[in-house]
Order: sequence, then C-alpha cells, then structure tokens
Amino acid sequence: MAKGFTLWFTGLPGSGKSTLAERVRDILLERGMKVEVLDGDEVRKNLSKGLGYSKEDRDTNIRRIGWVCHLLTRNDLVAISAAISPYKEIRDENRELIGRFVEVYCKCDIDTLRGRDPKGLYEKALKGEIKNFTGVSDPYEPPEKPEVVVDTAREDIDTCVQRIVGTLEQLAYIPAGDGRGYSDDEEEGIKQRLKDLGYI
Amino acid sequence: MKRLVVVGLDCFTPQWALEAWLDEMPNLRAIVEQGVGARLNSTIPPITVPAWTAMLTSKDPGMLGVYGFRNRASYEYDSLKVTNASAITARTVWNYLSRNRLKSLLLGIPQTYPPKPLNGIMVSGFMTPSRDVTFTHPEGIKDVLDQAAGGEYIIDVKDFRTDDKEALLDSVKNMTAARFRAFRALLRVDDFDFAMMVEMGPDRLQHGFWRYCDPSHRLFEKGNPYENVLHDYYVSIDEEIGRTVGAAGERASFMVVSDHGAKAMDGAICINEWLQREGYLTLKEQPGKRTRLTPAMIDWENTKAWGEGGYYGRLFLNVAGREPQGTIPPGAYEGVRRELMSALEVLGDEDGKPIGTRVFKPEDLYREINNIAPDIIVYFGDLDWRSAGSVGVGSVHLRENDTGPDDANHLPDGIFVWDGGEPGQLRRAERYQIYDVAPTILRFFGLDVPEDMIGESII
Repeated sequence: MAKGFTLWFTGLPGSGKSTLAERVRDILLERGMKVEVLDGDEVRKNLSKGLGYSKEDRDTNIRRIGWVCHLLTRNDLVAISAAISPYKEIRDENRELIGRFVEVYCKCDIDTLRGRDPKGLYEKALKGEIKNFTGVSDPYEPPEKPEVVVDTAREDIDTCVQRIVGTLEQLAYIPAGDGRGYSDDEEEGIKQRLKDLGYI
Repeated sequence: MKRLVVVGLDCFTPQWALEAWLDEMPNLRAIVEQGVGARLNSTIPPITVPAWTAMLTSKDPGMLGVYGFRNRASYEYDSLKVTNASAITARTVWNYLSRNRLKSLLLGIPQTYPPKPLNGIMVSGFMTPSRDVTFTHPEGIKDVLDQAAGGEYIIDVKDFRTDDKEALLDSVKNMTAARFRAFRALLRVDDFDFAMMVEMGPDRLQHGFWRYCDPSHRLFEKGNPYENVLHDYYVSIDEEIGRTVGAAGERASFMVVSDHGAKAMDGAICINEWLQREGYLTLKEQPGKRTRLTPAMIDWENTKAWGEGGYYGRLFLNVAGREPQGTIPPGAYEGVRRELMSALEVLGDEDGKPIGTRVFKPEDLYREINNIAPDIIVYFGDLDWRSAGSVGVGSVHLRENDTGPDDANHLPDGIFVWDGGEPGQLRRAERYQIYDVAPTILRFFGLDVPEDMIGESII
C-alpha cells in the first residue's frame, strides 16, 4: 500500500492554489489514492471558525491545518493543503512535523492577480476596504526551496498540474499513470495471436 | 449504496441471445423482463478493438485515435502497430468512478494492458503478452485468479486456428467457466460499487463453429455432431449469469452487454488481388503461391493503394508528400479515393452478382480524426464477406478465409440487457448506441455525464 504524504500549496490569494489542488486531487483519486483537500476558505468556516487575520491567528490556522495533514499522512492518506500560508517559519514547522511534505509555490505577479480578482478582493484591499490582505497590506514570504514552483501567470493549468504530478511520480509518492507500449517481441507475439484469431 | 455488475460477452450476438434462444436462457430473460433487452449498435468498425474502449469512454474511434487492433504510427509503409492501454488518453468510466471515490473491479476488458492504477482492482484483457508480465493491479490479485481457476488463470485460448474442434471446444468452455469463477471470487474480495468482466469465449467459439450451427451458412449440414455447440454454450453462459447474479448480491443491478454480434461469412474478398487487377497496386514480383503481402514486396513507384485483411477492409492511398514514395498528387487524392469507393461498392461475387458492399470515409464517420485513420473503410457485402490481405491467390474471391478455418464475420449489433435499476425511468428503444453505455453507468451512480461523452444515458 502506498504511503501517505502532504502536498502543501502556498501562494497569494487568487494565485490558483484551490484550482490546482482540485485538479491534482482528481488525478490522484483516479489512481486509487485516498485524498483529502483542506482548502483555506473551507477551513476557516469550520476547523478555524472564529479566527481572524492577525499574525497570531494566521499562525494558529496554519498550524491546525498542518496538524490535520500530519494525522492524515501518518494514516497513509494524501493530504492536500490549499491555504495562503504566508509565513515561512510555520510552513517549515509543518514540514518538520509531517516529514513526507511536498511544497508547491504558486507564483503569480500582482498585476495578474489584480487583473483576475474574481471576487473583487484585491480592488477592495487596494482601496483599504479590507485590512490585513496578504500581498497588499499583509506580508507574504515565498518559500526558498519548494519542491515545485508553478508560475500561474505564465503557464496554463495543464502544464502546472503535470509538473506537480510529475514531481510526485519522480519522488515515487504516487504510481505512474501511464504504462508503456509493447516491446518488439511482445508485439510480434500479439500480432501472431491476432492473425490466428482472424482479426488481422 | 448502489452497486452495478456488468457481464461483457465479446461477440454475443442478438439474433440468438435476444431472439432464437432467449426462452432457453431464463436468467437473461428475467433481466430483460425486468428492464430492457435491446440491440447495441457498435462502432464502425465493429471489432473488439476499438469497440470496448468506445463503449467505456463514450468516444468514437476517431476521437480515440484507434481504428482497429493495428494503427499506423506514421506514414511509413511498415508502421502498423498494435495499440495497448498506454495509447488511450480518453477517460474511462472507472476513471470517473475512482475520482468520485467509487470502487471498481475490472476483469479482462480488452485494451487494458498494461493495467493502470485505479480505485479498485484491474485484471488486463486478452492482449496481455503472457502470464509472466504484470497484468493485474494490484499485483497480488493474480493468486486469487489462479486459485479460482483451479490452476493457472487463462488469459485467452491458445491454438485457435485448429481443425481439432473437440480440443478448441474444451478449451473455450474451460476458459469461460474459469473467467466467471474468477469474477465471482474477486467480487468477494471487497465491497465494489462497479464490477465488470469481459469474456472472449463467445467470439472464439463462433468463429470456430459457425458453419456447424447456423442453418443459413452455406456449409451447414443438418445432423452434424457440432450442431448444438453454440446453442449449448449460450445456455451454459446463461447458467453462469445466474450464478453471478447470485454472487453479486440482492442490492446489485445487473447488466449484460456485447461489443458486436456475429453472422455467417459468405467468403472473402482479396483486396490486394483486386487492387492489382484494377491497376492500383504493383508488386516487384508476382508470388507463385498464396502469400501475405508485406511492404517490401510492393513496387511503390507504381502503386496508388494497398489494403489490409480483417473482418472489414482498410485501404491506404500512396500519396505524394505523405507516404515515402507517394504517387498520387495531393490534388488528385479525393478523385482517386472516390473512384476506388465507387468501384468497390459495385464489386460483386464471382459471378458478378451484387453483394452490397458499403464504403466509408473516416471523416464522415467520426467527430474528430486523431492519429492516422485509414483512407477508406470497407464492409464487403455489408460484412457478409471479410477482407483478405493475401496476394498470389489467383482470384479476387475466396470461399474460405485466407488465414485458416473461420466461418463467421461480425454483425454491427451487439446486445444491451439491463434490469434498469428502478423500472419506469428508462429511455426505451429497439437499438441503443454503444456510446450510450458509459453515460448510463455514470447516471446510475448519480454522476454528471461529461460533455465530451458522445452517447446519451438511457436513464
């Protein structure tokens, strides 16, 4: 049975963490892995309900997500975290706790993010209507050595997904998705059988 | 929790299963009476590969880029390659089920070697190279198969082209019984949501015994010792269905499908002999005896087209700038193709009597063309005749197959029999499309049907 691991997305609001997390989740489910996504917005509605956006509350939130990922991982599940997780120190704490930890940095420049802004949050933050907004009025510390970097401003979703899945395959954390074609000998054997069977 | 169990029977044919012998198949009849029993229109061509994959992805052969067992990997002359599961990029029903955390058990589905990981168990189909390779996921499942088989699990019958009919009959019967036993044993391994097996036995037996069993075949002799072989085999399959319904449990819904049917074969058209006669194909040297055509034998500079044998015919045109020594200017391609199609359509039997050949252009059949499609697809005598690829035959018509004894060809209709889950909600039809099966399975589990599936759920 495959061992568990945690796939940890980090990046500014709107950088594609949730979208990529869902796409990767579907692929891993198709390959028979047991997967749970802890999405930042969802977590704040239940596990971290009541927490605000001060540094202290943010740290508590990310430590809670890390703790749940740790529990899932040690039971051989795949935990995917898709929360901003702005502070390097807390991400590294989680890495230490979990062990099998793959960090994905969703890079995206601020102009692109402002252009996307589906919920109008950047606009409000820039006008000062939202306080402590990461990337505008609150700090974000990019990871120094993430296992994967995806630049969602410049790369399409499929490319990003493939790089993440490819890294997990290289690490042998997940089974390969595609088998090989026939070897020449196998092909000859199969052709003879197809001839015998009248197909060709 | 819902559960769906599907028994797939390669080549299980409607004129017997749904008509002539249905009353003697009480288990199948019970399912028909509870739900539906209809014909299932196959892919063009109606062949194991690509039909099963089309059924389970709801994509046509052009979308799959799989036009038969062998496909041109390039425009080189010797590029025909056998495709396996690694060539399939389209998503299957079990991909969608896995994604939705539903567990599948898959046994013997064609074109599933090498097995890919999934949520559940996969035993790859008859194009598995041998028992020495990994053909199950997870690997340990092989032991369950061997145990259920009471020896070694049989992937497919060996030595099919034999005149020893008794031996062939025994080996097909043993294989079929062992496959059903293995399926029932695997059903006990876990609590599956979706379970599907495919058994190749009906195809093998019909190709070997058709002339002995079908009174409409020109070589049929009443009172011959094998007269009831196919009838008795169909009845035995019905008994296996009954046992499997029992093993599936009360809450399971049950479906029986086939990828295409079978019918009497009148003869074979030697496609390359005909192309030679009509001046489209030139050989470097005329062989003195019946010989399989290979690219090395062809004088390409004086050749416009060549063909492949099989249950249906495929023609390839030798186009300048496309094939290495192409002779047809691209501007003349459509004209030559039309000329060939018209000539093939009117090609009669030995006496010139019309046989009703149908010809197709791939782009008229399929929504997309991926990889390299044949230039022309031919149903000789609407599949009453097969295509023979040999040269040196000395005649365009053969009354026997060129590669050994075979008396059956494929019928474009298979069967679709389903208890329907909950009655009263089904779209009724005399004939469904093979592409309707995957959407139906997804709807059964309450899942949305992806937009790129071309079939329509019958729920």
